[in-house]
Amino acid sequence: MTDAIDIKPILELRALIKSFGDNHVLKGFNLQLFEGENLVVMGKSGSGKSVMIKCLVGLMEADEGVIRIKGQDITILGQVELDILRTEIGFLFQGSALYDSMTVRENLEFPLRRHKTKLKITESNEELVLEALENVGLADAIDLMPAELSGGMKRRVALARALILKPAIILYDEPTTGLDPITSKEIINLMRTIQKKYKTSSLIITHDVDCARVIADRIILLVDGINYIEGTYQKLIQSEDPKVKAFFKT
Amino acid sequence: MIWLIERNTMKGPALIPSRAESFFNEIGDISYFALRFFREVFTRPFEFRELLRQCYNMGNRSLLLVGVTGFILGLVFTLQSRPTLMEFGAESWMPSMVSISIVREIGPVIIALICAGRIGSGIGAELGSMRVTEQIDAMEVSGTNPFKYLVVTRIVATTLMLPLLIVFGDTVALFGSALVENLKGEVSFTLYFNEVFDALKYSDIIPATIKSFFFGFAIGLVGCYKGYFCSKGTVGVGEASNAAVVYTSMLLFIIDFIAVFVTDIFFEVQ
Amino acid sequence: MQKTVTQKIRLGVFVILGTTLLVSALYFIGNRQNLFGSNIELHAEFTNVNGLQLGNNVRYSGINSGTVKGIEMIGPSRIMISMVIEEKIAKRINKNAVATIGSDGLVGSMLINILPQEGESRPIKSGDTIKSYTKIGANDILTTLSVTNENAAILTSDLLKITTKIIDGKGTIGMLINDTLMADNLKESVNQLKKASMGANNAINQLNTIISSVDFDKSAAGVLLTDSVSGIKVKSIIDDLDASTTNIKQVSENLDTYLNEIKESEGAFNQLIKDEKFAKNLDSTLLNIKEATFRLNENMEALKHNFLFRGYFRKQERLKTKATRDSIKNLENEN
Repeated sequence: MTDAIDIKPILELRALIKSFGDNHVLKGFNLQLFEGENLVVMGKSGSGKSVMIKCLVGLMEADEGVIRIKGQDITILGQVELDILRTEIGFLFQGSALYDSMTVRENLEFPLRRHKTKLKITESNEELVLEALENVGLADAIDLMPAELSGGMKRRVALARALILKPAIILYDEPTTGLDPITSKEIINLMRTIQKKYKTSSLIITHDVDCARVIADRIILLVDGINYIEGTYQKLIQSEDPKVKAFFKT
Repeated sequence: MIWLIERNTMKGPALIPSRAESFFNEIGDISYFALRFFREVFTRPFEFRELLRQCYNMGNRSLLLVGVTGFILGLVFTLQSRPTLMEFGAESWMPSMVSISIVREIGPVIIALICAGRIGSGIGAELGSMRVTEQIDAMEVSGTNPFKYLVVTRIVATTLMLPLLIVFGDTVALFGSALVENLKGEVSFTLYFNEVFDALKYSDIIPATIKSFFFGFAIGLVGCYKGYFCSKGTVGVGEASNAAVVYTSMLLFIIDFIAVFVTDIFFEVQ
Repeated sequence: MQKTVTQKIRLGVFVILGTTLLVSALYFIGNRQNLFGSNIELHAEFTNVNGLQLGNNVRYSGINSGTVKGIEMIGPSRIMISMVIEEKIAKRINKNAVATIGSDGLVGSMLINILPQEGESRPIKSGDTIKSYTKIGANDILTTLSVTNENAAILTSDLLKITTKIIDGKGTIGMLINDTLMADNLKESVNQLKKASMGANNAINQLNTIISSVDFDKSAAGVLLTDSVSGIKVKSIIDDLDASTTNIKQVSENLDTYLNEIKESEGAFNQLIKDEKFAKNLDSTLLNIKEATFRLNENMEALKHNFLFRGYFRKQERLKTKATRDSIKNLENEN
């Protein structure tokens, strides 16, 4: 924790509490993401990983706790400021979440329609879209509909969409679910390339151990609504704690 | 064991209040939803292009359906009521009777029900699947207010398009009716429409048109509400689209009922 | 991009088309209610408006020329009706025109008829009040006519019985006359005949009352009687009715005379010679009666063919067929 004082975290969660009725999902979760870091949060299905990440971007409201992105507490921000702050965050959704009724191009242009003027981006939409698609190697698919794409291609387009505003932080919600191992590997590699190219900080939520091993600088285990343990992959697989061992056994 | 039995018997009566509770809860939710719509519909930014797209989707793409339904409605209605009127020797009342019943009641209600089936369920399913695949969340993160982009445009589109569809459907229905009269009763189209406009009054056409705006609003509102708050994955999408149609149809009749009352008060003199 | 442009155009076409339909419907309806164009206002006072409503048509000489715009009670049994009349028609209406309340057929909606009058008068101005007349309903007249017709039917069947007997040669005239039952029958027939002619008279009187009370020339009275039946037709029906009643009256007088004659000469042998002549006379008398009733029937038939009275007569028809069947049955039984 002493590190945190030296290097200011770009994203910080403190004592996050969230319940749905009697179901207490998060009971004081803490997290710090530092600049240029790949942080993986692991947990079982239903352990509250997705809830945590949604609270982070303001899709859900936390019951209690502090959420600070680039030093700003998002829980007290108004809609306009929140939208500006969101331009700093790219979000890759679990199921890609491409807009079914729009072409790939329109999907990528969508974040630009509101944010472009605010960010004073001078390039044309066309240039930005092509650049983002080239980054994920799918420049040919620009006029296809999402229904015409394979699962892996969808994930790449979704990644391109998350990247189009060149955000400082990218949040990945289960980036490899529903993909075959080879495609998963491709996506993970892509994530690493992009991270290097744009110097982004990434927060990755997953239950895929392989993914965590390849990409993680640091891993946090989310168990019982709290950050149960954190450390490097090496440190965690050596842990004797039965709950930690359960994760890395296979 | 006694404790178990007690618990089981407790379940019965406890079910009813919880049902009533969820009913009122739903009514409250949908009212908030409507309130939010009115708050957001007048504030910037306006999603004008999306509104046009939705209008096109709902208006133009329903034309064929509404046209065919309206035509058959007018045709069948005239064929069915002819014998009864002939018994009284009052076939010449056919145009006025058919036009008044179609314009005042049957046209708006039938076409609104058809649109509830086509548009309402479509909205429910589309928004529902957007919700479960997190497309709505993605929009929110992209800095676009999904409520404005998806809900407001759709509700405004249905509210504006339904009266037009109903006018169109009524017209086609009257042509269908005129066709029957023309073939069976040897009434010319000119005479038929002369009699139609003789029989119709502002008190027939204006309340019906106002009513159809509310019909459109109800279709959009319920469809969007059900879709927007869809949960439980793909099963939920089906449920949302189904519930959208069922609730909308019910709501349409309730609105119709209220509209008749209100019309009665304002046009009492007639 | 191209796609959205065509979409926009199609949507535009649809919206404009729909709005045009709605607006033109509104315009046509307004046009029918004379909301557009120049109109003048006209008033008439009635004691009874028979359920007239706002928006009902106003006809001048049978042309739809305006609508009822106001119905106001201005005193006990005094109702002021305001009408809006198209100006192009209004300039043909004179101040001495008369307004009456009628209906568009037996079950149709009410309307106001304005009827032109002979004589010099200035054209109406906006705000004028014209004379009015409240008439007897068409229904009353029909009921009277129908009773008359029934009486005539009974009478014919009775007389038929007598003639049949005479033609069959059942005994001499003396027998015929001595037969008290037959004499009673004959008397009864004469009474019926009288009743019939009285009924017909009543109907005609009623019609005449209408005519005279309005004090119109004959064609105008005809128009007044029913709103939709053409005046001339009704007029000719009245004339026919008048003729048949005269016939019936004459016949009944003849019969009376014969009856008295027969009674006076009861039992006298020399009357036998006269018998043949008497029988012939009686025959021709009966023929006359037949003709008269036939005409009466024809008149009723003429009314029946007017579609507006159709419903009323259909019921009568059924009753009549039943009655005729019964009387034929009776006749067969007696023979």
